[in-house]
Amino acid sequence: MKDKLRNILGSFFISVTLINIAMLVLGSLLMPEQRFGYEVFIYPIIYGVIGIIPALITRDGKELSVKQTLVKNAVQMLMTVALILAFIFGGHPVDRNLIMTAVFVAVSVVLIYAGVIAISWFLDKKTADMMTEDLVRFQNRSADKGT
Amino acid sequence: MEINIKNIDPSQKEYIEIGCWRVNERVNEIVRFIKLRDGHVEAYKDEKQYRIALSDILYVEAVDDRCFIYLDKDCYESRRRLYEFESLLPSDNYIRISKSVVVNLMKIVQIRPALNGRFLCHLVNGEDVIVSRKYVPDLKARIRGDRS
Repeated sequence: MKDKLRNILGSFFISVTLINIAMLVLGSLLMPEQRFGYEVFIYPIIYGVIGIIPALITRDGKELSVKQTLVKNAVQMLMTVALILAFIFGGHPVDRNLIMTAVFVAVSVVLIYAGVIAISWFLDKKTADMMTEDLVRFQNRSADKGT
Repeated sequence: MEINIKNIDPSQKEYIEIGCWRVNERVNEIVRFIKLRDGHVEAYKDEKQYRIALSDILYVEAVDDRCFIYLDKDCYESRRRLYEFESLLPSDNYIRISKSVVVNLMKIVQIRPALNGRFLCHLVNGEDVIVSRKYVPDLKARIRGDRS
């Protein structure tokens, strides 16, 4: 559980950073004239929290294969897209403009999700490379001992 | 039960002798334990019994209530439980990497990232076994030599 929370927290902070970038890009494209107050700083955190809800409520009881984990991540991503769209556009009348914005937001969420996974994977890759180096040294030590 | 240990001349072959009234399950268990410490484990394939050298084992996996020993190309079934393997296999070279797998560290070629903070151990026969998040710190400590 502790490891899961640590992992989710890592994903949360990466998400918040990427959401900031996405808001900058999307805002510049869709509503460049829009001006905000200080309250705008809370939105990346709110979206980040919404983004980790699917991971928090998904059970981790069984050991999943890599393929099963990919499917699980895809399901969690779709849940995140649905939650964020509901949070942003829930209760608003559906028109052409809203649909276009929703598509941009959905694509951004998918890109952010993929970005979080890619960044986490590259960090793990660095750890894995270090572990492989340690492993080779361990194997050489063991071979020298004749075990 | 009385235990006698006798020093013998280095020119003689080492041996273990058990004196018992009759060979029962308890005696068989002691024999199995000694054989395992001697570097071999008994396993089964197609209802035939085999002696497998511990150094040949790539990993041991528990599936439901059964335990399987994986070698380079073959797979054998064992009547032992995974926790028994964990305690009986030489702790220098074998480590638990998930709820269901004990791996031989000498048979890992490379460690690669999997998803969600897990890792994959790529073995000499091309197979991959998953290291669960929970067991990653133990694996790191063992290969770094933090724990003997």
